[in-house]
Amino acid sequence: MSLATLTIDARVARLTINRPEQRNALSLDLLNALHARVDELRARDVSLCVITGEGKAFCAGMDLKAVLGNPAGSLELLTLLAELTYKIRTLECITLGVVNGAAIGGGCGIVTVCDLAITFAHNKMGFPEVDLGVCPAVVAPWLVRKIGPGRARSVLLAGGLMDGTQARDIGIVSYLVEHHADLHEASERMIAHLSASAPNAIRATKGLLNTLDGSLDRDLLLRAAKLSADVLNTPTTQAMLRARLGA
Amino acid sequence: MIRSETRDHVRSIKLCRGEKRNALQPAMLDSLLHELRVAASDPAARVVLLLGEGEVFCSGFDMKLVHDDAAALPALLASLSACVRVMRRAPQPVVIAAHGGAIAGGCALLSGGDMVVTDEHARLGYPVLRLGISPAVNAAGLIAHVGAGAARERMLDTSAITGRDALRVGLAHRCVATPADVVAEALRIAAELAAKPPHALAATKALLASIDHVDADATFDHGLAVSMSLVGSDQQRERVAALWATAAPTKPAP
Repeated sequence: MSLATLTIDARVARLTINRPEQRNALSLDLLNALHARVDELRARDVSLCVITGEGKAFCAGMDLKAVLGNPAGSLELLTLLAELTYKIRTLECITLGVVNGAAIGGGCGIVTVCDLAITFAHNKMGFPEVDLGVCPAVVAPWLVRKIGPGRARSVLLAGGLMDGTQARDIGIVSYLVEHHADLHEASERMIAHLSASAPNAIRATKGLLNTLDGSLDRDLLLRAAKLSADVLNTPTTQAMLRARLGA
Repeated sequence: MIRSETRDHVRSIKLCRGEKRNALQPAMLDSLLHELRVAASDPAARVVLLLGEGEVFCSGFDMKLVHDDAAALPALLASLSACVRVMRRAPQPVVIAAHGGAIAGGCALLSGGDMVVTDEHARLGYPVLRLGISPAVNAAGLIAHVGAGAARERMLDTSAITGRDALRVGLAHRCVATPADVVAEALRIAAELAAKPPHALAATKALLASIDHVDADATFDHGLAVSMSLVGSDQQRERVAALWATAAPTKPAP
């Protein structure tokens, strides 16, 4: 089974992060699989792409264990994430994050890059990067665009986690259901609704938004990946991660 | 269909087509544009207050007219863009009483408001992608009004949101309990603003506009061109025609 799956039914694509035994943590292999699926999707004419996670988590963030003590690997991992977010944002369809479980760090970054997102009140989300000595550089531009610079500052510098309600209140997710059990029905309703819009109007509107809000600044993301890798590769952060990951 | 009066330095401009939920026709939107321009250049008008008669503030473009007259949609788009620009650049503050509902073009007008008042159960949003129409015409205004993230959500999601959610995302700045309270609150705010020194308000509004690079004319023009590029497309004609093909047009789900 692939680490990322893509199914397309009529005008709706569903991209699923499929590494449930590791809470869908983003490894090099998983990021490569996601790139391959998004590349397939770019060639298809759809109105909506739903992004979700298999199993209990949406995505637990970057899988840093495998790149500990490996500066080149760290940079590759973060560059793959940066390029993936750019690729998702520049899809011509609407993107909806169905945040079925924990969305942490880079995982919450994938939620943020989606045009719209839905989750449940008691979910765990957020950007705890600074707590680990890591700089959330790749997600920062997307978060600033999503919730504004003031709120982005308070979220990224505070670190830690928030629940789904807080994520909705500050604008990281657009829709909230009370319980996890309600998520499926509510998201299917959203999917039917969003995919009913006129394809040419979706494409034109999405393209304009990407042009106006700085989403096409790919160089910024690549610089961010480099910065994040540099911080990750400092001896202090490496030591913190070793202690934390038991490596 | 537009009535204007000045009382205690407040220039009230009212959409008066209540029996049609203040649906905008080209001539009506042109007179709104005219009244806004007159107000913007009149020092006696210290505050502009935009209101609508009847059950809702404004239900957007008159879609029956858009269906019947191919010239209506481009005219409406151009005037809407001009109205929002005039309000954003007017030296005096603009207060909008968005009671009951502000849909599509009616919702776009809110981006011209420095102070938007609505009620908890009002319905606000842009359902137009459904009809093959792009809300791009007001992208510049909406991004300047609510920020890029919320603007993206409102423009790509055809659902209406409630007044309470509009307050949370910044589409409205005050939310009162009932539609009837909206006008009273808007009048109260307008009176308060009219008592403040106009030169300080004008300087502050101009400064804020200079920080919002996004609402430059070129950006408004770009959005208008994107909406214009879809006018008369097959998808648009079919979807607008379908509104009148059934006895009860299907409303977008909440």
